[in-house]
Amino acid sequence: MANTQETLRERARILLEDGTLDYLIGWEAGRFEGQTTPLIIRTVADVDRLIYNEYCVHLLAKYPLADKTTKKIGVVVRGCDARGINLALKDGQIERDRLYLLGIPCQGMKDAQTGEELKKCRECTHRNPVVYDELLGDLLEQSAVADRFAEVNRIESLSADERYDYWADVFSRCIRCKACRDVCPTCTCKECFTDQAAKGWQGKETSLAENQNYGITRMFHSGERCLECGECERVCPKGLPLMQLNRKVIKDVHELFGEYIAGIDDCTPSPLDHYQLDDVEEFM
Amino acid sequence: MSRTGVFVCHCGTNIAATVDVDKVAEAAKDFPGVVFVEQNKYMCSEPGQQAVKQAIEEHGLDRIVIASCSPRMHELTFRKMLTDTSVNPYMLEIANIREQCSWVHKDKGEGTDKAIDLARMAAAKVDRNTPLYTSEIPLTKRALVIGAGIAGIQAALDIADAGYPVTLVEKEPSIGGRMIMLDKTFPTMDCSACICSPKMNEAGAHPNIELRTVSEVEEVTGYIGNFTVTIRQKAKYIDYDKCTGCGLCEVKCPSKVTSEFDRGLTQRRAVYKPFPQAVPSKPVIDATNCRKFTEDRCGVCQKICTVDAIDFEEQDKLVKQEFGAVVVATGYDLIDWGKLYGEYGGGAYPDVIDALTFERLVNASGPTEGHIVRPSDGKEPKSCVMIKCVGSRDPHKGKAYCSRACCMYGAKHAHQFLEKIEGSECYVFYMDVRTPGKGYDEFYMKTLEDGATYIRGRVAKIYPENGHYVCVGEDTLSGKIVKVNADLVVLDTAMVPQESAGEIGRLFGVSRDQDGWLNEAHPKLRPVETNTAGVYLAGTAQGPKDIPDSVAQASAAASKVIGLFNHKALESNPMISFVNEVNCRGCGDCVGVCPYGAITLETVERRENSVKVMRDIANINSGLCQGCGACTSACYSSALDLKGFTNEQILQEVDALCL
Repeated sequence: MANTQETLRERARILLEDGTLDYLIGWEAGRFEGQTTPLIIRTVADVDRLIYNEYCVHLLAKYPLADKTTKKIGVVVRGCDARGINLALKDGQIERDRLYLLGIPCQGMKDAQTGEELKKCRECTHRNPVVYDELLGDLLEQSAVADRFAEVNRIESLSADERYDYWADVFSRCIRCKACRDVCPTCTCKECFTDQAAKGWQGKETSLAENQNYGITRMFHSGERCLECGECERVCPKGLPLMQLNRKVIKDVHELFGEYIAGIDDCTPSPLDHYQLDDVEEFM
Repeated sequence: MSRTGVFVCHCGTNIAATVDVDKVAEAAKDFPGVVFVEQNKYMCSEPGQQAVKQAIEEHGLDRIVIASCSPRMHELTFRKMLTDTSVNPYMLEIANIREQCSWVHKDKGEGTDKAIDLARMAAAKVDRNTPLYTSEIPLTKRALVIGAGIAGIQAALDIADAGYPVTLVEKEPSIGGRMIMLDKTFPTMDCSACICSPKMNEAGAHPNIELRTVSEVEEVTGYIGNFTVTIRQKAKYIDYDKCTGCGLCEVKCPSKVTSEFDRGLTQRRAVYKPFPQAVPSKPVIDATNCRKFTEDRCGVCQKICTVDAIDFEEQDKLVKQEFGAVVVATGYDLIDWGKLYGEYGGGAYPDVIDALTFERLVNASGPTEGHIVRPSDGKEPKSCVMIKCVGSRDPHKGKAYCSRACCMYGAKHAHQFLEKIEGSECYVFYMDVRTPGKGYDEFYMKTLEDGATYIRGRVAKIYPENGHYVCVGEDTLSGKIVKVNADLVVLDTAMVPQESAGEIGRLFGVSRDQDGWLNEAHPKLRPVETNTAGVYLAGTAQGPKDIPDSVAQASAAASKVIGLFNHKALESNPMISFVNEVNCRGCGDCVGVCPYGAITLETVERRENSVKVMRDIANINSGLCQGCGACTSACYSSALDLKGFTNEQILQEVDALCL
């Protein structure tokens, strides 16, 4: 990783110096040991602030999207970041020629406090970047992951009442801080439904019903576009098992329309954003 | 503050018997925004409508709720009524307290509670209605008729005679369809060719009809008044501008193929006209059987053609045309009985034939010049068994429906058989004899007088024995098993939709029933319309029919087209989608889900945070949008909304019910 960090700094220096990039998005060290934070560097002088180590937990894919100018943006991408970029490209949120992607095959990130590999990385199905302009380091063999849907299967096997109690318990703890939305690479709406006060989709009351409305609607909005990057769960201050909901949608979509991997490329239409004559219509 | 008037309809006793209308009217007085409530026995009647108009004037109403039947029934009536008043026709909501309430409830208390809820929701919704206005959209006054059987020809002629141009598309080399294959037509026994071919000629020569044979519809875009249709004009390998139809090529062609038109009783050449009276009266080359194409030799037709009309290099052409209306007349096929009825020999017995083959046998212009002979040995049969309902009225093996024309053509065939062959015997196995139609039952009685023996029952088995066939069945009237020896067996098989009907249905968005027949918009009141505006049905594409019914339906479809074309322009539907640009993030998900191709992404320049940026924003084509609302539910940002059914209106309704 130290090598990757050196190569990254070297390439960043060259790319910023020769004007290929207006700025580059990566990570820098945080205030505490093992802590990192996303970093945007615009000048060569800042290159040495760039780091790459086993604590670079943040997904970078969403950072370039706010910039609607014509600036050329460098982004360090691992599997999850790269799929997030593809999703943004597919959704028309940025143009590919404005991006320069420095791909890094990822060995998984660790929790700074426990030193253990993060849950989201243990469940990762795409360690190698699926799109990049240059690759720093060698591609990795994708290691087998445990059944991603094991938890979904377990919950599905419960009775309706048990399931309701389970989710009522989960969402009774939600504080609607909306961190999961802010971090989510699928959430690129200009104005989120929860903020459209005039329309009244989301009430302001602190209650289980409003929490559930928020959680369930967000689940459907991310839907099959979920990259399974696990950021929502990582940032949730209440530690809610949000990926269980996302994976339920993914599992259903797989069962109804066949396997679909969000962000694997920037062109494959998702099963829910167009219609086909042989689509399942069991509800009709 | 809105000034809503609520009008509660009794619909005679339709509503009043199950809903306490007084209670509904009383409750409506307390709905927010409601300033006036009235009841009427029939809101839709002239006095009912007058009462609304009067109330608008006297009480200054600006919104109307009518609690009555389904909006499908009378929403349009009440909108029209409002055009004469100060209230915009779209400031109206219908609470359906009949179909969704009184008709489905028995308990008056429950029915009344529900009616109050429905009326309250309508009042809540109308509170957020905004005036909407229609606009004019242009109309292409050219019709497309798909399928040139008797229904298609009749529809094309009627439209053309009214002065509008028609394109008549037929997949076969000649127009005429099934009717031109037939010998005589029941019940008057006039020769089919004598009444069909003049119509074919008229269609072929009509200045307003453009004939496209060997052609199929490939792609359709657009909407009523403005369809753009791509037609694949398949290669005929013959230049019709040069060809004189002399027929020399046909005589010299060495490749012989089974004739489809003669149902396999004769052979035709690879360059051929399906029958002498074909329209257009010019041949085509069947490339799959022509030696020039299969073996790259021969080409004798090209050498012999005096006008150099043969062009082996010809390619399929794609023609794009604009149409205002479409008549679908794709016709029928016969069920593949061989696969279903192993007990009838499964097609292996040469003298067990279907009724259409019998038509060719008995036809004066057919391969035997009307002499009925056995296909196997050419001998005249002395006895004939006709079996009705083969594949129809047989849900276990074939279709559950009655094929409608068989009882009559079966009687005709029996009559013809007995008339043409002296001393012959004819047995008809039937389930029921159905002869509703002018002169139909008289015809059937005449066949009985001719000496046809009708046996009520199905044939269970046919097997060959000593040069004839033994038909074993039960006579259900006497309860006895009967065995009938026959030289010839004719199966009256079920009509099924043409295979192409599925594709046509898909292209035009016309649904099909479980058997594949194209669905009309309403089985009784809109029998030739479909649920796609501007697309009409004629003939057996919609279901089994005989010739008189097909022709009647074709003329009905034509009158709908003519009625449409008599308008100067079309009125647009104002209840369509619209985009809130501020919220649109330009993801384009709406583009993919729109079934009408009405949404495109457009790049626009905007100032955001004092910076000029280029953004993609959804753009709705108001002519193409049908207001289905698919985009509004696909839009994560709720940047898309539907006029007349805005999110706000619907949430308002939900709140009215739930809070």
